[in-house]
Amino acid sequence: MQFFRVSLTRSLTLFVALMATAVFLVALAFMFAQSRHAVRQEAMSNANQLLDNSLQRINAILERTEAATNNTLWLVKRHLDTPDSMFVYSRGIVESNPFLNGCSIAFEPYYFEDKGLYFSAYSGMSEDKIETRQEGNDEYVYFYMDWYALSKLLDHAAWTEPYINIDTYEDNVKKEEVYTIVSYCVPIKDPEGNFVGAIATDLSLDWLSNTISAVKPYPNSYSVMISRNGTFFVHPDPSKLLYESIFTETLEKDDPERMEIGLAMVNGEEGVHKAKVDGEHCYIFYKPIGNTGFSAAIVCPEKDIFSNLNRLRNSVIAIFLAGMLLMLFILDRIIRRQLKPLKSLAAQTETIAAGEFDKSLPNVGRVDEIGRLYQSFSNMQQSLVNYIEEMKITTAANASMENELKVASNIQMSMVPRIFPAFPEREDIDLYACMTPAKDVGGDLYDFFIENECLYFCIGDVSGKGVPASLFMAVTRNIFRIIAQQSYSPEIIASKINHTLSADNDQEMFVTMFIGQIDLASGKMDFCNCGHNPPVVHIPGRSAAFLPVKNVNAPLGIMDSLCFKGETIADIRGWQILFYTDGLNEAENPDFELFGNDRLLATMDRLENCSSAETIKKLQEAVEKHRAGAAPSDDLTLLCLKLK
Amino acid sequence: MKLRNINRISTAVLCCLFFAGSAAFAQKITFTPQWTAQAQFAGYYVAQEMGFYKEAGIEVDIVHPTITQTAYNLIRSGQSQLTTIQLCQAMELINDGVPLVNVLQTSMNNALVIVSKEDKNPLEQKGIRVGTWSSGFDQIAICMALKERLDYQWFRVASCINLFVAGAFDATLAMSYNEYYLLKQSGVKLTDKNVYRFCDHDYNVQEDGVYTTRSYYETHKDEVHRFAEASKRGWEWAAEHPEETLDIVMKYVKKDNIATNRTLQKLMLEEILRLQVDRESGQREFRLKPEMVKLANRLMLDNQILLNEVTYEQLTAH
Repeated sequence: MQFFRVSLTRSLTLFVALMATAVFLVALAFMFAQSRHAVRQEAMSNANQLLDNSLQRINAILERTEAATNNTLWLVKRHLDTPDSMFVYSRGIVESNPFLNGCSIAFEPYYFEDKGLYFSAYSGMSEDKIETRQEGNDEYVYFYMDWYALSKLLDHAAWTEPYINIDTYEDNVKKEEVYTIVSYCVPIKDPEGNFVGAIATDLSLDWLSNTISAVKPYPNSYSVMISRNGTFFVHPDPSKLLYESIFTETLEKDDPERMEIGLAMVNGEEGVHKAKVDGEHCYIFYKPIGNTGFSAAIVCPEKDIFSNLNRLRNSVIAIFLAGMLLMLFILDRIIRRQLKPLKSLAAQTETIAAGEFDKSLPNVGRVDEIGRLYQSFSNMQQSLVNYIEEMKITTAANASMENELKVASNIQMSMVPRIFPAFPEREDIDLYACMTPAKDVGGDLYDFFIENECLYFCIGDVSGKGVPASLFMAVTRNIFRIIAQQSYSPEIIASKINHTLSADNDQEMFVTMFIGQIDLASGKMDFCNCGHNPPVVHIPGRSAAFLPVKNVNAPLGIMDSLCFKGETIADIRGWQILFYTDGLNEAENPDFELFGNDRLLATMDRLENCSSAETIKKLQEAVEKHRAGAAPSDDLTLLCLKLK
Repeated sequence: MKLRNINRISTAVLCCLFFAGSAAFAQKITFTPQWTAQAQFAGYYVAQEMGFYKEAGIEVDIVHPTITQTAYNLIRSGQSQLTTIQLCQAMELINDGVPLVNVLQTSMNNALVIVSKEDKNPLEQKGIRVGTWSSGFDQIAICMALKERLDYQWFRVASCINLFVAGAFDATLAMSYNEYYLLKQSGVKLTDKNVYRFCDHDYNVQEDGVYTTRSYYETHKDEVHRFAEASKRGWEWAAEHPEETLDIVMKYVKKDNIATNRTLQKLMLEEILRLQVDRESGQREFRLKPEMVKLANRLMLDNQILLNEVTYEQLTAH
């Protein structure tokens, strides 16, 4: 099947061939069915005609036999008082009708008292002479014979079953003549209507066999004749003659078909049957023979009847097969030629697919579907070329932007302190921070510096993400650095940043921020929380907890003239304080579950004795693990501080 | 009238057999089956062809009756010493004064049937015309018809088949091994309804046996016994080798130009062999059963076919 699937030419050729074959077969089947019917009708008519002609000749002889017998009957009945005259009558009937083999005029036992038990005047042909004798004796008890008993019991004229007659005569040499005969027997009645005897005229069946055997409508057809009880007395196989009947084969094996034909024939029906004879399908045409109860049939092998038709069928099939082969060849060539531009187009497509977009298509010079396909393909190729050009430009632009973003990211990262330890000369400060934007650039920020033995620091989260947030972050960070360096308290720093950011804030962006100032000498921390997450505080000997914030201020940049309040913690030395943005506690896994505050506190509990750098590293790992491959939804900024 | 004629003829035949037998001293035995060549006599053909008779030290000539050379002629001319007869026929002949001896009993069951037209029960039709053989074999049927008061009109003919098929008879007697199949071969439909089997209705009287005259038996006891033993051997071989037996039968059939065929002979052989098996013992016993003789006596005496009882001792060689 693959062989046809891979080639349109092959599959088209196959399809056309199959369709042509189907149409042809249907037409052929119809034609031959009609022809067979016509031939069958013709054969039936022909066989019936032949059978009729032969039976007419046979019936003529049979009727002459019946007439001769009946003509003698009145003479016999008239001279019942003169038994010896019966010899004259029996001789006369044979003399007058040379086609007869013999005639018996037989009487009941002791009908003629002076003649004794047996009296049957018989005349028969014996070597071209007519021999007349009294045939009844102890060896030949004629009144037990079919021909006599039949007419007596039936009380009307009848034909006997065919039987083998053996004439024995001596003429210097003893001779025996065996032949098959059939007798026509008529009851003899006295004037009172009592049965007194029978006349039987014998007819040789040899002539009948020759007559019917000559009926041969087809080379292998043959004729058969069966008697009343189905016995063959004409058959091409001599071993069956009088030895077998049409029913013999049904004795051992059921053969309903043969039984049906046999019964139809012995019942004197006329018709035609199809049946298997000696393993061959045959048509059997049969008709009854006169009043005999016998039946004649012509057996015609089906192959003979339909031989001409079968020859014609075979020739037509041969011509069709040859035609199909030629058609397949021509069709293949035509389809190949028609589809050649498609093949070329396929090759061109391969070339274009390989990257040679500017490869020009040849002009096929056609205006049909294939020509239009070529034109469409050419247009598509041109569009493809244009598109790819645009793609190149866009890609280049994207690459440039990406590069710029990378630069911006570097710049942004360089805006926050990234060198740790941040204060190598001071052993009392353990500070570590990191910032990981969700995109190339982020909106988080942190910063710290020491001024006048005070550590100023901040951590913030700008609303939104990406470039706008990063720019806002940069501005915020710079403002924080400038203002904080003037040693203001955290709430003043917050107030000033808010004032600066609020001015001309058309984008209405804002930033949450935790601003702190730690007196390194006393450990006192002043801070101002502007809408930012409360830091996690880990005081030695206690569990990690969120730093309680009394005054939570609004985020910075929302509006000017806001009032910011600060708070103070007397001494934070020994505490571990974690400042973070919501990229930590709101980190999501693929099932959108948050990292959460509880997990954060629990994690922090486990990191009690860790340095700030280790704490942040472990937290990053914990977040990474929680996200389980999910993309970060927000910027993550962590700042961990521990004063000794 | 006709029955008496037949009896006369049969008596004459067996009388001749008696006298011819008395005069014969030759070692050669001529055996005449009661009918033309057919599988009914397969055991004898086998014994002849397989050399069982020769091995028994006797020379047997099997001569079938023909139209011109009937069994009667063969026996009258002294050419035949042994023949096959049915038990009832033999008893009738003995009753008529012909001293016969049963030297071998082959049949253990009765083969007689009455066949009537399709769908007609022969026992439900009184006064119908029934065909029978001109040569007899119908004693049991006559007894049954008289007992059942069927008032059949018997018609004796040489062969009943054609006349029955032609509609001349309402019913016909038939042998289950011969005419039964001939009727089937004539397209007659045979069913349990239109076929009455005597063996199934208290008339299971043995049939075929080999008989000779007592005088011949007395003077040739040894040869007769050897013939009987070899014939028995022939039948046993036939039962064991039915196909080969059929070949032998067909050889005899073809030689005598008998109008039959292999299928009919095969069916006949099967049936004959089946009839040789005793229903009680399931064996091929080859013996005349005293109770069978008693049954035949009772039936024929009751219906006056026999005037005096024929004893088992009268029938058998002793």
